[in-house]
Amino acid sequence: MRNISILVAILALAIAVPPFLGIAWQNALVNVLIASLFALAFNLLIGQAGLLSFGHAAYFGIGAFAALHLMIAIEDGLAFPTPLVPLAGAAAGLLVGIVAGYFATMRSGVYFALVTLAIAELFHSLAPHLQGLFGGESGVSSMRMPWQGIIFGSLIEVYYLTLGWVLTCGLALWAYTRTPFGRLTLALRDNEQRVQFLGYNAHAAKVIVFAVSAMASGVAGALLAISNETANYSLFATDVSAQVVLQTFVGGSTVFFGPVFGAAAFTLFAFLVSDLTRSWVFYQGLIFVLVMLYAPTGIGGVIAYHARHRRQLDWSRLAGPYALALVGGLLVAAGVVYLTETVAVLFGEGYAVRMRDAGGSLPRYDLFGVSWDPAGILTWLLPLILIGAGGAVLVRARRSIAGFWNRMGRTEALAAATPEPAGGTA
Amino acid sequence: MSAATTMEEPALRLASVTKSFGPIEVIQGVDLDIRPGERHAVIGPNGAGKSTLFNLISGMFPPSSGDIRLNGRSIAGLSPYRINRAGLARSFQITNIFHRLSVFENLRIGVLARHGVRYGLFRSIARMRRVNEETADVLERVGLAARGADLAGDLTYSEQRALEIGMTLTTGADVILLDEPTAGMSREETAEAVALIRSVTQGKTLLMVEHDMSVVFSLCDRVSVLVYGSILATDTPECISANRDVQEAYLGKEAS
Repeated sequence: MRNISILVAILALAIAVPPFLGIAWQNALVNVLIASLFALAFNLLIGQAGLLSFGHAAYFGIGAFAALHLMIAIEDGLAFPTPLVPLAGAAAGLLVGIVAGYFATMRSGVYFALVTLAIAELFHSLAPHLQGLFGGESGVSSMRMPWQGIIFGSLIEVYYLTLGWVLTCGLALWAYTRTPFGRLTLALRDNEQRVQFLGYNAHAAKVIVFAVSAMASGVAGALLAISNETANYSLFATDVSAQVVLQTFVGGSTVFFGPVFGAAAFTLFAFLVSDLTRSWVFYQGLIFVLVMLYAPTGIGGVIAYHARHRRQLDWSRLAGPYALALVGGLLVAAGVVYLTETVAVLFGEGYAVRMRDAGGSLPRYDLFGVSWDPAGILTWLLPLILIGAGGAVLVRARRSIAGFWNRMGRTEALAAATPEPAGGTA
Repeated sequence: MSAATTMEEPALRLASVTKSFGPIEVIQGVDLDIRPGERHAVIGPNGAGKSTLFNLISGMFPPSSGDIRLNGRSIAGLSPYRINRAGLARSFQITNIFHRLSVFENLRIGVLARHGVRYGLFRSIARMRRVNEETADVLERVGLAARGADLAGDLTYSEQRALEIGMTLTTGADVILLDEPTAGMSREETAEAVALIRSVTQGKTLLMVEHDMSVVFSLCDRVSVLVYGSILATDTPECISANRDVQEAYLGKEAS
């Protein structure tokens, strides 16, 4: 019940708020939704079946091109409802997923990952040469055609269409985990060999999981095509495949809806930060590394952990250390950002020219609205102080947080170890 | 031995089965008939090829030559899942379970296979009452009813062995292969396991690899002795322990 009310609240926000936002934000939210569905589809493989695909851009891209070809046909007079265009992405994703999955799932582990990578690269290198299918280097473009009085001219209409599809597919993927085949998928992840000795064709089962994942990825790609009204071969790039891996792991692959957090965080991060600094990809990588090192279950994993222990959580004792950790984290982040941006300025193109003009001496530069001296002590002392102080605060906060959880773990273990009769008399 | 039993078609028949790994012939022409409903043990020193024999029968790898027939139908070289569907299930010497699934789910995977809903994608598993009831039934029979919701990886060793046997039963096969089901168990655990195996293989055909002669004596109708990849003798436990060749090749070493 609690979960359902949270879902309903999020849904109400997702429906009510966007009309009041600007175009840029609406577009960002459309991208969040698409990335979320893509990550959920991807996580069906790694989270449920234990298969790490490095080439999911293939099925995302195929979905986008299939949708565009259908949209062109609608433009030319085909009577097909525009809101159902993602079905083309689903069909194409499913079809290509079956064929590609048949070969990729012959192997597991590293070999599986490499085969998926190779298949995506195949599309990436072939697409620019296939004028008819992928429109060569410039790609394929189309227009959203009106349907039943819905013009699909404004972004908010696209947003609601996307929301509807992402919700439907997301819930369908969740329902999948509740079916016999969904349970078999988990068994495959744990022990493929035993599955075979229990009367299942493990290869066929893996092909089906792969195809379902590719189908949902195709829907996500189709939604992107509807939103952008264009696509080119860069959709097949390794970068697209890598993004969904990063988002899924930062969001948490062990929790079903975890990848949504990662997709939202990365998409909004790119939206908010990419205009401010060219180092945003570096920061994104840094965030990924930190999450993998200190919270390997991802954002979703951390939230799920707290939700599981919500009854034992003593926020009066936990809020302090958490706030302290936040302060420490912000200090370190400030120091790292300062250093990164300083390095970006000093080793950027512009500064070399200015240095030559200044006859070899180091001219001052502006950053964060302040003028800095590259040879000044403060310039380099400041980030060190920030990182040092923040680090010290973090270490302290971490100690008291770990202490809290350890104490709780001990009480839990104690409660479990206490025999029932003794508990009854106490 | 009455004429009727010898005339009856064997549940499992191995005819001149060989298996070579490179230049080494691990199984050197094994002939073996397992009668329907009997409990049959394969004993032999380490490295005799007992596990290889089980792997050949269950389809882990194909035999190099010879034929294996299950209820008269050749299963030699078929894939494991086809052999399982033909009615043969096996357990593993090294516990081979789904560690991160609950005990209940470990058993349900096999029950689902028997009900033919192997790849059911459009039904809720929670609503499949018969499947869930049957799973609970197997859970009860292997004595793990109280552990159903726990992760299989969290079970004790002997509980995992019981689960291993339970999983072998779920697919409804009537020829059961158990690979050293009591290995590594204490005396009490072994006694429990023997009682469990006896009760769950009622009405089924059992072929087991076993080192513990007391288990073989208390459980099995017949014994085959495998030495260097070929069958030295097949007989009742009493006759086998009196057999001179067997004593020399195998039992003698332990008796002395």
